[in-house]
Amino acid sequence: MLFFRSEELIDAWCGSRAIPRRPTVRMDQLWQLAVTWYATRLEPESRRPAPTEMRRIFEGIGLEGDFWDPQADTFSGEQ
Amino acid sequence: MDFDIQVKVAIYRALAATGQAPRADEIADQLVVPPPDVKKAYARLAQRRLLVLEPDGVSIRMAPPFSGVPTQHRIQSAGVQYYANCAWDALGIPAALGRPAEVISRCEQSHEPLELAVGVAGPEASSWLFHCGVPAAQWWQDIVFT
Repeated sequence: MLFFRSEELIDAWCGSRAIPRRPTVRMDQLWQLAVTWYATRLEPESRRPAPTEMRRIFEGIGLEGDFWDPQADTFSGEQ
Repeated sequence: MDFDIQVKVAIYRALAATGQAPRADEIADQLVVPPPDVKKAYARLAQRRLLVLEPDGVSIRMAPPFSGVPTQHRIQSAGVQYYANCAWDALGIPAALGRPAEVISRCEQSHEPLELAVGVAGPEASSWLFHCGVPAAQWWQDIVFT
């Protein structure tokens, strides 16, 4: 889970390592994920989102498909 | 409060206060309980994916979003320096702290420095991107790699 300056630099990084190119996430989307996962982490009642919740959370900020589904038992990698 | 939750809160609040992962004996002293009880709680918290432990079973490698070891993702807030486990967690630390922070990292390909101001409502406008090479279903197969 890494930062990149541009789509082209992600392409170069994946290409040089034979790593599949995955969907990119904007900073505003990443902030939403950070808040959802961690905003209450210092509190006693905090908890990680359950796998059954995660796909809905991702879809709610525009991240769709099996890549973002923790319960996907197959992943084509064609996103 | 459930004992494991007491241990978890003590760990996370120590990390938030200092940026450093507390030792198990420090948590035991703070909670006035035997160190072996804390060690057992660490193992249970790791099973619940709230901690990632080093092979010794007591040193904290990750208490997401905080890292127990230095990484390329640094966060500065209120005079404290933190390390994050990954780019996601780099924004997760300001979210957890609930206060402004500066995220300092880099582009993994060009190594161009990233300095991102994050307020309580989120990061400043930025065209930087996040990329994860591992599908969500496989994140915890090797969370350190992920």
